Amino acid sequence: MNELMPEQFMFLSAALFIIGMVGVLTRRNVLVIFMCVELMLASVNIAFVGFAWEFSQMTGQIFALFVIAIAAAEAVIGLGIIMALTRQRDTVDINEVRELRQ
Amino acid sequence: MAAEVLIFNLLSAVAIVSAVAMITMRNPVHSAIALVLTFVNVAAIFIMLRAEFLAAVQIIVYTGAVLVLILFVLMLVNPDDLPEFHSGKPMQNVFGFGVGLILLAEISVAILTRTVVAEPGPWNEEGVAAAGGNIQVIGQLLYSGYVLPIQATALVLLAATIGALFLGRPDEDQEPSPKRRTVATISLAHTRGADDDLIPALRAANIKREAGDRDLIMARDADEFTTSAEEEEKKGQSE
Repeated sequence: MNELMPEQFMFLSAALFIIGMVGVLTRRNVLVIFMCVELMLASVNIAFVGFAWEFSQMTGQIFALFVIAIAAAEAVIGLGIIMALTRQRDTVDINEVRELRQ
Repeated sequence: MAAEVLIFNLLSAVAIVSAVAMITMRNPVHSAIALVLTFVNVAAIFIMLRAEFLAAVQIIVYTGAVLVLILFVLMLVNPDDLPEFHSGKPMQNVFGFGVGLILLAEISVAILTRTVVAEPGPWNEEGVAAAGGNIQVIGQLLYSGYVLPIQATALVLLAATIGALFLGRPDEDQEPSPKRRTVATISLAHTRGADDDLIPALRAANIKREAGDRDLIMARDADEFTTSAEEEEKKGQSE
């Protein structure tokens, strides 16, 4: 294997995505779950950029750019929700938050 | 080139190990630092895949903005020690890792048995170099064919800003006090009787001292030695 194969970045992307998913499913701290979601978004970017590299296209890189912009917006909103949650319930435990109503 | 493959594998290994460290660390601050390490490695992989602009954006946006924001929120929220893997729900962990393994098997089968076939585009190494570089190509394509998505992204970012302001506003029940007050400070160190001369409001309010031998003034509520500005004025006029 002397050449960089597309399977390699696909496996890296899949591994990071699955690690993020396992973190979302197993952790209880809302902030760690939020970080895992960020990791999943970044892992999708690896697949986008990898396919763009493999096929000499730019569309994948442009889509990755949009994903990063949306991830930044999502980070702002998610952290705002976490702040509002901790102000109201004084916890970051996801198991303590069972209801959406006040 | 074997060196390229070696570097890619090294970066991938560090990224995966730090991602695993992120979900296993007990302290959320350690998790955030492990996530920074993962993102830096992903940015290096972007450079290897000829996406230099995206590598810079990755560093600036993810590790520069998002992780700093996460660390700020980590400092603001209550740092309670959650029982994560040690005394949490064991079924939740087993279920999570089981679903992860199943998904890994499925994706592995999909990657190893299928190949994606597509027509190679014009933007190989020579094409990008002829157009002036990675940033130039992205700029040309972005502002010719993707104008509407860029404007939609701008709207999303604007909505996110307004939403963050809305979510971060102070609570309604913490209203400012309606009237200005003059507050008498009570020293607990002076001898009995000396505070009558120190605090005129005490005589005006006709407060009785609590029984006992301690030289303390016991207040029934926090505003007992507090007079409003109007009362202070009225007292001055009557005198």
